[in-house]
Amino acid sequence: MALLQISEPGQSTAPHQHRFAVGIDLGTTNSLAATVRSGEAVCLADEQGRKLLPSVVHFAAGDKLLGYEALAMQANDPLNTIASIKRLMGRASEDVSRLGNTLPYETVIPAGSKVPRIRTRSGDFSAVEISAEILRVLAQRAAQSVGDELDGVVITVPAYFDDAQRQATRDAATLAGLKLYRLLNEPTAAAVAYGLDQNNDGTVAVYDLGGGTFDISVLRLNKGVFEVLATGGDSSLGGDDMDHAIGEWIISAAGFVEIDARLARRILIAARKAKESLTEAESAEISIADRQHNWSGTLIRSNFEGLVKGLLTRTLTACRRTLRDAGLKATDIDEVIMVGGSTRVPLVQSMVGELFARKPMCDLDPDEVVALGAAIQADVLAGNKPDSEMLLLDVLPLSLGIETMGGLSEKIITRNTAIPVSRAQEFTTFKDGQTAMSIHVVQGERELVSDCRSLARFELRGFPPMTAGAARIRVTYQVDADGLMSVTAEEATSGIAAEIVVKPSYGLTDGEIESMLRASMEHARDDIELRMHKEQQVEASRVIEAIDAALVNDGEQLLNPKERKLIVEHRDALATALESATTEELKRLIRAVEQASEFYVARRMNQSVRQALTGKQIDEVDV
Amino acid sequence: MQSPDLNQNYFELFGLPAAFALDRARLLAAQQRLQSSYHPDRHVNDNDRDRRLSVQVASWINQAYETLQDPVKRSRYLLEISGADIPDDSTTTADTEFLMEQIELREAVEACREATDGLEQCQQIENRLTQRAGELADEFVDRFEADDLAGAVVLSRKMQFIQRIQQQLDELQFELEGL
Repeated sequence: MALLQISEPGQSTAPHQHRFAVGIDLGTTNSLAATVRSGEAVCLADEQGRKLLPSVVHFAAGDKLLGYEALAMQANDPLNTIASIKRLMGRASEDVSRLGNTLPYETVIPAGSKVPRIRTRSGDFSAVEISAEILRVLAQRAAQSVGDELDGVVITVPAYFDDAQRQATRDAATLAGLKLYRLLNEPTAAAVAYGLDQNNDGTVAVYDLGGGTFDISVLRLNKGVFEVLATGGDSSLGGDDMDHAIGEWIISAAGFVEIDARLARRILIAARKAKESLTEAESAEISIADRQHNWSGTLIRSNFEGLVKGLLTRTLTACRRTLRDAGLKATDIDEVIMVGGSTRVPLVQSMVGELFARKPMCDLDPDEVVALGAAIQADVLAGNKPDSEMLLLDVLPLSLGIETMGGLSEKIITRNTAIPVSRAQEFTTFKDGQTAMSIHVVQGERELVSDCRSLARFELRGFPPMTAGAARIRVTYQVDADGLMSVTAEEATSGIAAEIVVKPSYGLTDGEIESMLRASMEHARDDIELRMHKEQQVEASRVIEAIDAALVNDGEQLLNPKERKLIVEHRDALATALESATTEELKRLIRAVEQASEFYVARRMNQSVRQALTGKQIDEVDV
Repeated sequence: MQSPDLNQNYFELFGLPAAFALDRARLLAAQQRLQSSYHPDRHVNDNDRDRRLSVQVASWINQAYETLQDPVKRSRYLLEISGADIPDDSTTTADTEFLMEQIELREAVEACREATDGLEQCQQIENRLTQRAGELADEFVDRFEADDLAGAVVLSRKMQFIQRIQQQLDELQFELEGL
């Protein structure tokens, strides 16, 4: 065991050589790279001085565009323009085919493969490959702006990313030819960016409200050691919801009745502009003017705050839940850090400040803070700061379990356990001469295996045949510092070993993790769950009725047979599952029907607008 | 330049006396000092073998920390390294008095759910449980120090029962608070 080369702080064994290291925030919407230059973390800009790189890749004929250039192509060539790829990281074919119609591009699943690919004019690409393209551009940018060869990188991931999603991120780095020092949790990176490792000991809450997701994490600091105590959040809550709330206000204030996709887009843009200007101003002028509409109004800040208060209260509930997981009270928190563009909203700062009874830290640009922290950590890991005591200790975001008799999940390592961690379990054989057994590893909080996410099934083979119950098969589950699991197994009496590395064939969506976590809490309250289930059934029936009525009304007229078939298929899937499906499944199926019929709804609106206009012209002629 | 001796027990690893009474601050400081040496982040540029080893050692340190910081696990571990015969979890207690107390506590917890002043009642039960856990821990220490390992095993089990009720109560409190 004397293999570990431990050197005392400050006594590095080799003469120090500076290594060029970069921190990367690989985001859903935007990505950034940062590095430590003359002791200070800075975000790296492109030749035009832009720091953000939109996480978008466009495949043009014989060419590839990234970032802003790719983003500009999105409206005209959606099928060859790949955005929000982070949502597909670590996800299997089944997940993607379920998402089907919500994706603006075409996905294909190669025969015999678990990994879905996106079809473009330049070929089919996996999420890992697309992410690698983004990483490559950021790495090139870094090398150019520093003029040095890149040694390694730290890439940030959401704290709740599961095994499959982390593995996919790791694979993307490998594919981009980058040496990955470490995957770093986004909230931890934010705390590092604020230099809290140099502060006194204490606990820190990181409140991260982005465009479409909300994350809350509680960290403990002790002499340069950061420890994630608990994480939580709501993966379908963000700044976009505030825009929608303002949008609804505009619609009712203006008395708009028929809202087509274009008007909706216009309203949302105006809403977002109003929200942004209300960060500084006490009121915002909003006007919606086109050929059919001419409305202007004023939204005062207190009114806006009334609109979004409910949304923000939900984030505070998630905060309290996470504090509970950490075993702390709000007043135990010593610092609160704000991350994500949406935290610029003054009400967010005051409500968060009120919950924690202290003023949140928001001096750094909330869009940059994660990349800056990653850069600092990369610098330490590269060995450029041999005296640094900074050490980041993480926890497992979701429990790992194995399937036992009756389809139950037996937790092996529970959520929020410090990693790296290993656990061993002993099994025995139940048949004479049995030489193999299979173990099904799942990730999630629920009791039933079917409610958790399957990570992998693996077979242990080659045990010496023994009488039933005589073999002692010791299975060890090892989770490394990046949160990735591997499994080893050994028959203890003979010492015969088999090693199995879990190759994740599935990935959870942020939403699934969130709903799985929430579901586990509701599990204890069956009555509430039952009510939610009933509500979803009612909602499902409503959707089915609406689709049926619409199809009878103008289905023949507005849809070709193929389109009609698509909608009917989704409607039937929902109708079939109505009695048997779980609440979550119902939600998903309802969403699928809504998404499959989106274009139909738009056409119906256009149609009714056209009819209305036609009617008016006739009236005018008559007059 | 030394890797830790994996044959040490957890108390030795952290440089703490092998006793139930615990200096938490010292435990935390020792854990972080050890992780500062052995955590994989400290071995990013080492060879594969050392990197794998550092994962194993860091896991072991985490496991040791988790065991010692929890009173029930700590009591069990103390018994384990003292060579006590520890029955598995399925063994039930034969102590009727304790059994009755448990049933009564569980019913009290359940009653909070329906009560109008549920949270207040929860608080009262919590105080009672804290007191009870303290008494059991004191008794455990007495037996353990008197070398009555069998008696100490029974008390460790009782502590575990009380901890489970504490967890149930905790769940309920958050439920009542609407979390």
